[in-house]
Amino acid sequence: MQDQKRILIVDDDQDFREAVSCFLQAHGLTVFQAHDGQEGIRLAKLERPDLILMDIMMGERTEGFFAIQEIRRDPALKGVPIFVLSSFCTRLPDFEIPSSGGWLAHDMFFTKPVDTVQLLDRIRQRLGKAA
Amino acid sequence: MSEPVAPETVVVIDDDYAMRLSCTKILTKMGLHSQTFEDGARGLEGVATAKPGLVVVDLKMPGISGMEVVSRVHEIDPQIVIVVITGYATIDTAVQAMKCGAYDFLPKPFSPDELRLIVNRGLERRRLALESQQHEIEQTMLKRRFVTFVSHQLRTPLVAVHQYLDVLKSLDQSSEVQAKRQEWTDRCLKRVEELQDLIADWLTLARVEGGTLTKERIKVDLSRIIPDILKTYEQTAAAEGVSLQSHLPESGLCVAGDRNCLSVLFDNLITNGIKYNQPGGTLTVSGSPSDGEIVIAVADTGVGIPEKYRPYLFDEFFRVKDEGAKKTPGTGLGLHICKRIVSEMGGTISVDSLAGAGSTFWVRLPAWHEPESPGGSPTDAGPKTNTDCG
Repeated sequence: MQDQKRILIVDDDQDFREAVSCFLQAHGLTVFQAHDGQEGIRLAKLERPDLILMDIMMGERTEGFFAIQEIRRDPALKGVPIFVLSSFCTRLPDFEIPSSGGWLAHDMFFTKPVDTVQLLDRIRQRLGKAA
Repeated sequence: MSEPVAPETVVVIDDDYAMRLSCTKILTKMGLHSQTFEDGARGLEGVATAKPGLVVVDLKMPGISGMEVVSRVHEIDPQIVIVVITGYATIDTAVQAMKCGAYDFLPKPFSPDELRLIVNRGLERRRLALESQQHEIEQTMLKRRFVTFVSHQLRTPLVAVHQYLDVLKSLDQSSEVQAKRQEWTDRCLKRVEELQDLIADWLTLARVEGGTLTKERIKVDLSRIIPDILKTYEQTAAAEGVSLQSHLPESGLCVAGDRNCLSVLFDNLITNGIKYNQPGGTLTVSGSPSDGEIVIAVADTGVGIPEKYRPYLFDEFFRVKDEGAKKTPGTGLGLHICKRIVSEMGGTISVDSLAGAGSTFWVRLPAWHEPESPGGSPTDAGPKTNTDCG
């Protein structure tokens, strides 16, 4: 099972993390959980996940944006797909993309509550057969 | 905003050279920055670049008429104050210009004092208009932020419950979910309760703000209603290992207010005192009259509130961000509601807290005054007709 794909979920709502993690684990993925942006950045650097699920509004602020920028600044994490899961907005708001980090063409946006079947489908598409 | 302000610019548009010269002289002496133009077309260009606070325009000029200048200046910026200069023969036109949005008019010839007076008045009016505009913007921002924030607060528990149900449904037969079913059902119930609390608090706040909860001013004796509230929390407190104590006189803590509103106030303070306490702790409510006020203290033996958070404690949606407090569910509206209620009643609320030794919330409300009898003279104020609340 060493080929199991590794997902990091960053969300300040414990229940949301729990539900999504359980679903992904039941479908054979390894899931790490982070409860805020800082912890998300730390785990991303430490665990080098294959894909990151990121909330935007955490702790009354749009912490997810900063976490994404910070993660993208790390050369080792530059190519990791980041899927945004947010109830904060129905589409990604326009915001300044710094040259050192930001969005990649294959990043995706999902509205919360998220359609888990579709999410799994997209994760598999992105990560190839091994997922 | 408190930085030194650059001098306000005044634009003068007049085809008469002598007039431009004397206006410049007067305006410069007033500490204003003046720019002059000899016709409407140049004047409008000047207005667009100089962004003046006030424009003085002669109504009778070759080229673009003064009247047209007036309306076109307001197309550039409706907040610019316009003063029109007119000869005696054209007072009617001046009135016409004011209908078009000019602020005032100066009949020719005018004295330096007349110009000074009208310019000062015009700039003052502009300052007030800008201030109220700024105030309006801030209010709208606050409202917009409030709605965004509340909708996020409302949506978060809903999303969690939805997600649990979604996963329960799609993984119905899998062993992962079988083991979690009970736990997740409990969590869903908790989140639904959280949502209900938020809606209830939001509604209370809206009622307090709308004045419907604080309108009534009848005599309410706090030494009667507080013990009733304490009684309803006996079980909750026991479950948390917190003992409830009351040091209230049997009567005599009368204030003027609405019974429901006062119940919400002390209900919130007492629940907080239980929620943010620790096992083996105490919640003590004491009260006494003091100097025309009724002072109630609600003291807990919890972890206390760090000093850095105290100034924000009564703000709407503020929650202490320490680990311990984070685990306690709360809407962030309770203390804000308390503050609104207390200030509507002309009182104050404050907090004393020692890290590790608990917090005491102080509520001070004006004591009830018996209405004076219709014939009573002002000197015999406060006849002690009521033994309870003298």
